[in-house]
Amino acid sequence: MNVKDNLFEVIKTNASQKELNWIETKATSSLQSLQTAFVATTRFVSKTSVNTFEKLKGINFNTWNLDKLVRSYFLVCLDVADEVSYTKTLNTLFETAENNEAVALISSLALLEHPENWLLRATDAVRSNIGIVFDAIAFENPYPQEFFSELAWNQLVLKCIFNDKSIHKIQGLDDRANKELAISVSNLAHERWAAGRTIPPQAWRLVTNFLDETIFEDIKKVFDSEDYKNQLAAALVCKNSGFLPAKNELKKHIELEQKVKDLSWSFLEV
Amino acid sequence: MCQKESEIKQNPSHFEGTDEELEMSKTIQADFMDYVKGMKFFDPHIHMTSRTTDDYTALVDAGVVAIIEPAFWLGQPRTGLSSFKDYYSSLVGWERFRSSQFGIKHYCTIGLNSREANNEALAEEVMEILPLFLYKEGVVGVGEIGFDDQTAAEEKYYRQQLELSKEAGLPVQVHTPHRDKKKGTELSMSIALEHGIDPGMVIIDHNNEETVESVLDKGFWAAFTIYPFTKMGNERMVELVKKYGSQRIMINSAADWGISDPLAVPKTAALMKIRGISDEAIKMVCYQNAIDAFAQSGQINVADFETPQEIDQSLKFNGNTVLRGGQIPRVDKNSIFIS
Ligand SMILES: [Zn+2]
Repeated sequence: MNVKDNLFEVIKTNASQKELNWIETKATSSLQSLQTAFVATTRFVSKTSVNTFEKLKGINFNTWNLDKLVRSYFLVCLDVADEVSYTKTLNTLFETAENNEAVALISSLALLEHPENWLLRATDAVRSNIGIVFDAIAFENPYPQEFFSELAWNQLVLKCIFNDKSIHKIQGLDDRANKELAISVSNLAHERWAAGRTIPPQAWRLVTNFLDETIFEDIKKVFDSEDYKNQLAAALVCKNSGFLPAKNELKKHIELEQKVKDLSWSFLEV
Repeated sequence: MCQKESEIKQNPSHFEGTDEELEMSKTIQADFMDYVKGMKFFDPHIHMTSRTTDDYTALVDAGVVAIIEPAFWLGQPRTGLSSFKDYYSSLVGWERFRSSQFGIKHYCTIGLNSREANNEALAEEVMEILPLFLYKEGVVGVGEIGFDDQTAAEEKYYRQQLELSKEAGLPVQVHTPHRDKKKGTELSMSIALEHGIDPGMVIIDHNNEETVESVLDKGFWAAFTIYPFTKMGNERMVELVKKYGSQRIMINSAADWGISDPLAVPKTAALMKIRGISDEAIKMVCYQNAIDAFAQSGQINVADFETPQEIDQSLKFNGNTVLRGGQIPRVDKNSIFIS
């Protein structure tokens, strides 16, 4: 089954007959009519949460509401044969989007035809100050992991840390960890320390594979923190790192070493 | 766009009210909020785009739980379609978000205002994109539309937008002109009726003593804008409610980029309370009637603002939730330290 049919199967098990009738009529209509249907969805489809075990292209629909799912379905129903009209329709939808529409669009990026063409829309969502729009690109969305440059990726992760958001909900967080990001995390920590504040403990996971003499100094400082979760974070970094001085450092903190033996970062995920 | 024009009259340097009012001004409590504690308000006409976060804070404190932001003109004419598109988008996007940060439910009406209807070339383009916005979530009407100079172009686009409202099943929020108000109001109503629109779907705005009777008689909703320094102050509003009752009457602040008072609704409620108008009537005029009129759009779910909403943590803004446990962080204006 293709994505379109898959989505419709999920919709079928979650929508009422009346909703289904409306959705089916619209799904086969013209580009113009589909565009209007996307906007008008909440007038005809409820916001009940979706029940499904289906996962498509890395998207977990279990956290979605029905209206969002239907909007996503309408997007994959758009006729891609005429690329100019297809692009124009999507651009109009992006440029006139109400907040919930924007969320549906951003969450569906990976399902669009030529998803790489929509990179600017994705990075614009990272720049958004509207919480739900930012979250739509950042969390449980396969798009950034696959299409973001290192620079764009690092912006996304840093903005999450900066705003105390849950970085573990970013898909590919550990896979796309990189040296530049590790340095930025360290710099951010220094700025925070200067202001008498800290970064969320789990942010330190991002430096694990990029420890050097400089960043290791930070980790020693985190060990000395009075906050237990920060101490655990330092211990987890050392446990998982291949940097020898870190391994030795962990041995100095016997209690923490014991504690993190059966501990993973999920313990610090908030 | 709203009630006042260039003839802003400054505060009189001496007291000009009646003896009774003079007496009252000496005896009432200093804080008007004391009179409206526990009351909820709905301001169906306020242009928050032009207001600051201080105003949002003041609205929350005064008990305003939901607002409608009508699309209007920005003080100077727009020169291209994109400006209109971005403005409409901001009403359902950024401004809606900003409002949610204070726990205030934000609705809007979308329309081509009368002044800019006079640029026909641009108006044609705007008319084309209006349907795209009218069907959006939280759009509770077509507005504010109507007459300003009462030109042929204004009439043309007023009529076209009435048809749009019929198609979309949306209420209409009608701006009435400053000059020649009575004639403009009558014309707006007769055209609406001519288009077969149920007067119960039309809110005639910016009424005064001269227009209200005809508006109510014909079955339309009568909205009053309480605006400082102009003819419709809230004392006269109290008299109007005494005379016409509380059916199909609502008040708003129409606060915008001009000198205006976003707290017009709660302040007028306080004055009504002081002047002996019943709590029930106050609720109708300052809350319920606006909801009943605009909920005909199918876009108002009172549970969204009647039950205190848990502010979604995903709505954090630059690392801060504006509302934390129902509390808005306060900026101490008198402190020299900013932290
Ligand atoms: Zn206005």
